[in-house]
Amino acid sequence: MPTALSSTEASPRAAAEPVWWRPVRDVGHLLRFRSASVRHRARFWWAVVLLGGITLTAAIAPAFVTATDSRRLDVATLLPSAMAGILALSVFSAIAAGGGRELIAREKAVAFPISPATDHLGALIMAPLNIAWLIQAWVLLGATAYGLGGLDLERLLSGQAVMVLWLVLATSTGQGVAWSVEAVRRGRFGLVVIRAVAVLLGVAALWVQLTGRVTDMLDRVPTRSLVFSALEGWTWRWGQAVLVELALAVLAVVLGVIPAQLAARRLPHDELRAEAGSRMPRPMPFSDLSALVRIDRASVWRSVPMRRGMAVLAIGPGLVAVLGGLRWESITILPGLVVSGGALLFGVNAWCLDGRGQLWRENLPVRPGLVFNARALVLAEFLGFASLITIVLASLRAGIPTVSELTAISCTLVVVIVQVVGAGMRWSNQRPFAVDLRSARATPAPPIVMVGYSGRLALSTTITGLVFSGLSRLPDPSISLLVAVPFVAWSTARLMRTRRRWIDPVARARVVTTVSA
Amino acid sequence: MTQSPPAVEVRSLHVRFGEVEAVAGVDLTAYAGQATALLGRNGAGKSTTMRVLAGLVPPTAGGATVAGHDVRTETLAVKRATGYCPDVGGLVTRATAWEHLQLAARLRRLAHWEERARDLLERFELGDAAHRVTGGFSHGMGRRLSVVLAALHEPEVLLLDEPFDGVDPIGVDATLEVIADARARGACVLVSTHLRELAIQACGEVLVLRGGSRVATVSAQDMAGEEGARAYRALLD
Repeated sequence: MPTALSSTEASPRAAAEPVWWRPVRDVGHLLRFRSASVRHRARFWWAVVLLGGITLTAAIAPAFVTATDSRRLDVATLLPSAMAGILALSVFSAIAAGGGRELIAREKAVAFPISPATDHLGALIMAPLNIAWLIQAWVLLGATAYGLGGLDLERLLSGQAVMVLWLVLATSTGQGVAWSVEAVRRGRFGLVVIRAVAVLLGVAALWVQLTGRVTDMLDRVPTRSLVFSALEGWTWRWGQAVLVELALAVLAVVLGVIPAQLAARRLPHDELRAEAGSRMPRPMPFSDLSALVRIDRASVWRSVPMRRGMAVLAIGPGLVAVLGGLRWESITILPGLVVSGGALLFGVNAWCLDGRGQLWRENLPVRPGLVFNARALVLAEFLGFASLITIVLASLRAGIPTVSELTAISCTLVVVIVQVVGAGMRWSNQRPFAVDLRSARATPAPPIVMVGYSGRLALSTTITGLVFSGLSRLPDPSISLLVAVPFVAWSTARLMRTRRRWIDPVARARVVTTVSA
Repeated sequence: MTQSPPAVEVRSLHVRFGEVEAVAGVDLTAYAGQATALLGRNGAGKSTTMRVLAGLVPPTAGGATVAGHDVRTETLAVKRATGYCPDVGGLVTRATAWEHLQLAARLRRLAHWEERARDLLERFELGDAAHRVTGGFSHGMGRRLSVVLAALHEPEVLLLDEPFDGVDPIGVDATLEVIADARARGACVLVSTHLRELAIQACGEVLVLRGGSRVATVSAQDMAGEEGARAYRALLD
């Protein structure tokens, strides 16, 4: 008598599914689940079209710009270094993100059997949704089009194929390295090992710089052979290069599963210690504002991901400035970058900091304007502290600034902080999200929204930095002060408008109930 | 004998979130020294009603007064008069239990509050965890601390939203004790829950909500036992 399968019997189809295929299928399911929760579908698709359009334009348009062959060759010689830069960026951003961004937030993911391999593939898909990665990728594709292009379409296409595969290879390698670092960090003495390795790398980089070997080293990067292959067009050597890149990319993706599994089996001790630790009681705060600021500071500074993110943001550009021997007019650009990056840690969704505690806090009898002031103040001091570390590090090699340079960088710092705090608080009111920021892998807003935020912040702060960089060369420091006044006035006015909106009980209730959901 | 004015009065309360009407015409009157339970299924509008009374969410239509203050126009006074235990979380993840109490004491202008705070923490078996960051608390510990925070300043109106959810028997007993103490000192207590047995144990009156509206107001005795369970189920369907 024919019988149907019982619920405990494995279906023959399920048994036939290869082990390696399951994570791939699961990533597909998670992507569909994730895309179903997109609030504004039209806006999402416009963003996808915009990003795709920019990528295509960057990959094709520069090829048709009129230029001499020597000029194109100059740009082509920089391609190996640019490729190495992409690899370094992929490694560091994945490490800073605790192994890579989550496709599904940790809180929601616990209900599903998501394997570390699926998590690894998901993080790989999310990696390009990062403005630093996107800009570097666009620059690489644009430089390739310019350097190899001209009217030779064949060389353009073959060159871009090599570069696109390099982007895949660099990203998957970065992901694998980041999981390995995370696995070590979560082990016994892991933190000490990671910190020791970071110091050693810093010292090695400093030694390379001080002994004048940077150019030598860049001339020897292995990516040179890939660029030579790309130059040749559809030849056997090009085919070999493409095959090698493809094989290495697949290998990096597959090997990345091993440290991902290892990291998943280990607990993040420093984060758990921070969550379960005891704190010495402090005396009563002397005012309502100081009480609010104290609890907001606790939310920021006791968070391991926040502290780690700030350290990477503050020390990274500072070291680059030291190694690159940046002068004060170039250092003026750095506070804008650091402040923008710092705001992306929590500032663009500042009310999610308390999570569900926001419901209890909202019942406390205190004027909402004061709550807003405290949050803005804590955000500003967080951003200011990170920038000051960068400036102090950069100053180690730049020497003592002139009065004009000192005034210009001080003005830049104040202006970008007011600009970014204003933008962050405005977005926090307009588009709140319920996010648990306990994990370094979480972002305060969905990735595509984060790309928009980071692009807008980077644009405005870079323009501000460039303006004050120009002013730092002028002999009269008062010009910087005069220019800073309208910048600060405009941003303060916008911040005050956001504060008025927060005071409105209906608007505030929407934010509070959303972030507490 | 003239009855004192109601501590909580809700008149035809409507709360709408976009297209969803979370509360659709709730009426409620509760007096000082009384405990009233809000019973109902998930999504019945219990938590939203509590949030309105705590001054968190303004009504879309209708109105409510808490300790004589209009929730729409005198929000700060409402917050001063109430102690609120939210239905979800309700704690700042990276602050300690003591820091929560300090913040509440500071903003509520409490003097000599430490002894009462320590006593409440001990009653809820949280004395050892006073200086621990609440992110490491279990769900039950978090619920218990939320009740402590709501009761610290001995409010005129105590609003407890799902205070028994995931709490162990000692925590349940301590919560029942807090409710009894509040009634004894003349406070009005509102308890939102879907646990009928605990609701009738803690309260004298029960208000049943369904689909955002009130469907019945009955005495706790009428909801007790098998008969009460049948009546309650009939009201939910």
